[in-house]
Amino acid sequence: MLAKRIQPMIFQARRLYVEMMFQVMGRALQAVSEVDDSVKNEARALPEGFLFEMMVMPDGPRLIVEHTGLGRFHFHGDSAPRPIDLSIQFKHIAHAFLVLSFQEKTSVAFANDRMLVDGDISYAVRMTRVLNRLESFILPKLIAQRAVKEYPANLHLPEKLISAARIYLKVATNFVETVRA
Amino acid sequence: MTNKYYEFFCPVKVIAGKSALEHIPYELTGLAAKRPMIVTDKGVRAAGLLDPVIAACEESGLEIVSIYDDVPPDSSTTVVRDIAGIYRQEKCDSIIAVGGGSAIDTGKAVNILVSEGGDNIAKYSGAGIIKHPLKPFFVVPTTAGTGSEVTSVAVITDEAKGVKLPFTSSFLLPNAAIIDPRMTLTLPPHITAATAMDAMTHATEAFTCMAKNPLSDAYATAAVKKISHSLLHVMDNPKDTDGRLELAQASTMAGIAFSNSMVGLVHALGHATGAICHLPHGLCMSLYLPYVLEYNLEEIRAPLGELLLYLEGPEVYSATPSSRRAEASISALRKLRDQLYKRCQLPRTLKETGKVQEEQLDHIAEMALDDGSIMFNPKEVTLEDARAVLRRAWA
Repeated sequence: MLAKRIQPMIFQARRLYVEMMFQVMGRALQAVSEVDDSVKNEARALPEGFLFEMMVMPDGPRLIVEHTGLGRFHFHGDSAPRPIDLSIQFKHIAHAFLVLSFQEKTSVAFANDRMLVDGDISYAVRMTRVLNRLESFILPKLIAQRAVKEYPANLHLPEKLISAARIYLKVATNFVETVRA
Repeated sequence: MTNKYYEFFCPVKVIAGKSALEHIPYELTGLAAKRPMIVTDKGVRAAGLLDPVIAACEESGLEIVSIYDDVPPDSSTTVVRDIAGIYRQEKCDSIIAVGGGSAIDTGKAVNILVSEGGDNIAKYSGAGIIKHPLKPFFVVPTTAGTGSEVTSVAVITDEAKGVKLPFTSSFLLPNAAIIDPRMTLTLPPHITAATAMDAMTHATEAFTCMAKNPLSDAYATAAVKKISHSLLHVMDNPKDTDGRLELAQASTMAGIAFSNSMVGLVHALGHATGAICHLPHGLCMSLYLPYVLEYNLEEIRAPLGELLLYLEGPEVYSATPSSRRAEASISALRKLRDQLYKRCQLPRTLKETGKVQEEQLDHIAEMALDDGSIMFNPKEVTLEDARAVLRRAWA
């Protein structure tokens, strides 16, 4: 009986968590493209104006970023100015929660058919590398190892700390600017 | 409880063995199809492979209404549109694709147009666009390797834009795959070898990559066993129908395995090499397989070691210490490649192909890194890793 009463609250909390993580990830994607050269190099191969979306099917939380050129991303929140070029779609909010709470690696979620790719698969592979790089920076190593297929061996603590600090600062600034606006 | 989860789907009726072609009329009738169209290529027709298909249908009073035999090796949107036009003009009601990967992919794409309507196949490109079952569609493979008869994917070139359009939908799967040993009896030795190694790679990657699952494992191991047992025998006895059937079944089983558990770095490198150096797909698979397994070794030691049972049999498996089985599996595959080289000069290194320049390796590595298959490779592949594998495969 109690479990039945609590269940809607758990579902609500899960949805809020996924929404919040998308907000953080979107801003962090923008920030990492300003901070890290290898992310910039990955992003440069995307067409200018390229819109990337990560969302929960059928009409759940989403994040949308645009490649504005020169390897830079811009976070659009959850609404796109044009039709999306590449969409990575979780089949259910429960699957998004598994990945965003680092219980399941992104690569494993793909292998487990938790997600669909709508768009050019080569761009999806590239964006997955960008997401992995971002997670390696912003998460403590122990958690990052649960999120990415392989934690980069050449990412040492000083570089990680400095980059993570810069990314979090930019994310926080962006949040404040959004609230003010 | 672990997070392990998988999906497995294969609704294709497999009709395999002696006189399998003679089941086509009955199976078509069961789907209320009376006016089939054959989609094939000139090579298949010239080899006389259409004759038993046509004879099997005519003997049962089923007329083949139209035959399109001009499918090119890389099928295009124009070809698909033209065939769909003929299908409509002749009022056909079903498609029988007879051939290798290109004829089968073309058959799948034509089926989209004639079922969904329109002339522009490009608008159906992508995943999950098709929402309804298509017209009755049968596949008769004439090579034993691609596994296209059991995959839900087709790739068609858009000539105008110069890009390859992927189509993915479970509705692309044929209603039936007809595996008749007569269709592969005349395959020349180098194609027999390359296509069988393609199937071997499908099975090996399906069994060792990230999306492996218990059901695809069963198909993969059975396929590896059949290929290991029959390939060299068929190379020495090309007219052996039992051996040919074993390879054809292995190809279908490997196709079922990899379409449900995907492939990895061998395919990523193979797709890139095919696109840049125009090498046949099966050859690329055979060439890269041991080098990629060596690269992935520490991640796949357990499943690769298990494959030794199917590659070399129970005696060798039990005589090999478990800590050495993974390496022994790679050795078995190398030994098989050496035997194939001896029999038909199937290249084992990029240099042996005579068609790859060392300067092209970087380009191949870069392109492979963006291939969808790389997502399912058990190890995260960096550009430097891909270059290193290519350097080892060079000579």
